[in-house]
Amino acid sequence: MSSEAGAIKLFFREAIARAVREEMAADARVIVLGQDVGAFGGAYKEFHGLYDQFGASRVRDTPVAEAAMVGLGVGAAAAGYRPIVSITYMDFLMLGLDPLVNYAAKARFKTGGQVTAPVVVKTTAGAKGQGVAHSQCLEAWLMGVAGLVVVAPSNAADAYGLMKSALRHDGPVVFVDHKRLFPTAGEVPLAQTFTPIGQAVIRRPGEHVTIATHGYMVRVAGEAADRLAKAGVSCEIVDLRTLAPLDVATVAGSVARTRALVTLEEGQLACGVGAEVAFRVQEQVGAVRIARVGALPAPVSSNPVLEAAAIPDAARVMDAVRRVLDA
Amino acid sequence: MDRLAALKAMLLIRRFEVALDARPDHGFQLYSSGEEAVAVGVCAALEPGDQLLCSGRSIGPALARGIDPRLVMAELLGKAAGPSGGKGGRGHLAKPDQGFFGAHAVVAGNISIAAGAALAAQLEAKGGLVVCIFGDGACGAGALHETLNIAALWRLPLLLVCDNNGLSVSTPREAALAPAKLSDLAAPFGVTAATVDGMDVEAVHAQATEFAARARSGGGPAFLECLSQRFFSHSTATRETRSAETMRRVLDRCPIRLYADRLRLNGQLGDDDLTRIEREVDDLVAGAMAFADASPYPDPAEALRDVV
Repeated sequence: MSSEAGAIKLFFREAIARAVREEMAADARVIVLGQDVGAFGGAYKEFHGLYDQFGASRVRDTPVAEAAMVGLGVGAAAAGYRPIVSITYMDFLMLGLDPLVNYAAKARFKTGGQVTAPVVVKTTAGAKGQGVAHSQCLEAWLMGVAGLVVVAPSNAADAYGLMKSALRHDGPVVFVDHKRLFPTAGEVPLAQTFTPIGQAVIRRPGEHVTIATHGYMVRVAGEAADRLAKAGVSCEIVDLRTLAPLDVATVAGSVARTRALVTLEEGQLACGVGAEVAFRVQEQVGAVRIARVGALPAPVSSNPVLEAAAIPDAARVMDAVRRVLDA
Repeated sequence: MDRLAALKAMLLIRRFEVALDARPDHGFQLYSSGEEAVAVGVCAALEPGDQLLCSGRSIGPALARGIDPRLVMAELLGKAAGPSGGKGGRGHLAKPDQGFFGAHAVVAGNISIAAGAALAAQLEAKGGLVVCIFGDGACGAGALHETLNIAALWRLPLLLVCDNNGLSVSTPREAALAPAKLSDLAAPFGVTAATVDGMDVEAVHAQATEFAARARSGGGPAFLECLSQRFFSHSTATRETRSAETMRRVLDRCPIRLYADRLRLNGQLGDDDLTRIEREVDDLVAGAMAFADASPYPDPAEALRDVV
């Protein structure tokens, strides 16, 4: 594999492991808690090598007990450590929401700044054949919790850069990755870099329509844009990267030029990322043509036919783009 | 344990709460009256570097830990001079730089947090201990059982104290929790446990001291059940469900009076001592109230400060 100068090609999972490794080496207060994160190296090998390098005291396998896992991570964070807690699937994060939402997200506020809880909860969203309780994208739920930062990288470079930033942030961060991203590879800078929290990026410049999306759906948007380009339709893709706080300015800047917005997410549309993005963009740029693309209002089956039916694909994004452009 | 100091600490909690309750602007409060011996007995077993966490019933634990009553009163009344600027208020008192990691008003919500703080103490390896006081109402929650399991596996320096006042709002403990003793909950995890009379400050202190020493020396977590009774209803916003006759019985067994009587009987407390202690306590309470009254409420702009 050839790489750009000053960059190295890494799998998404390797990019996460590198970020955590660098931060653990730089700061003894960074520790890892989670199911199968130790010698096993994580469900997606995203913690590979950390146990060997840093030992069982800093890379800790836990029982299946999400409430206590998150609670211990939050408590250790409030006591001065910088834990990363791995929740294998986002569907299980709800078992650990109490310490995250009721304690970590409020610690700084309720103590008048005496206590902060710099914990990173890393969790994996998205459908990949594992059924109704292992496929959900629930990140929109978290966007309404004051005090929480929510990031969702779409490629290896941002998986690395956002994990680095998350581990340096002085409050709780939920790091949402995606099952289908782990086998993908991308260029990651050789030098230590930090993807800023709260900054979206224009992934593909275009003229006719803005597609605002995040995570794995950035790749789906890219596929749709490639195909639409052959028909003379030019799509601008904004990768949100951080969902809370949302970088409305970058999306609004794009929409101010294209005057057409398609939001794309794998999760549910009701009270979803797209609803929030679309409303806030229009608060800045006035009424524009809008379409939202998301999952069907139904559970996501492990049945491959039903899974594909439930979640967005390039064809649905293309339909939505045509719909707004024809409007 | 300094006996007279313990007596004074219990009396401070009681008179502090009586003074707070007399104020028409006290707002929503959870009182510790009747349960003073638990907080005072446990805190007398702590070192300055230890951390105490507790439930929303936090006035007793905060004062017993030695937090300045002026700061506690200001915080409870929502004043800017509170340690959290009045933003935490009732149920979320905190002063971690003085060993009071803080209260958290979600039932059972502070137990795993305490275990995390205990993990930090273990990694620091300076002999620090973390104590979490919670009510019997927390004993049905999964958070306790998940935490007991991990704390036992990792031998965390954690003392879990169940202040069992026998009522979860209105639900009697017998109607909510199956075990004969709540300390039995620790047994399946191999966590050492005991049940003591929570109205007897010396009994609480003795057992807490033993468990604390054990946890500090790497012996792992412990579970201490203290049988207590609360003198008020669940909160200032909750109606009392106990009968007048039951309340007479409850109030008749006051941990402060029991202890004062015992000390007098043993020749360890003279009338002068008691008079002096009462005067000191009254001065502290009056000072706390004056301090809180002199402090302004927070600026409304505080609503957006320290959020992220």
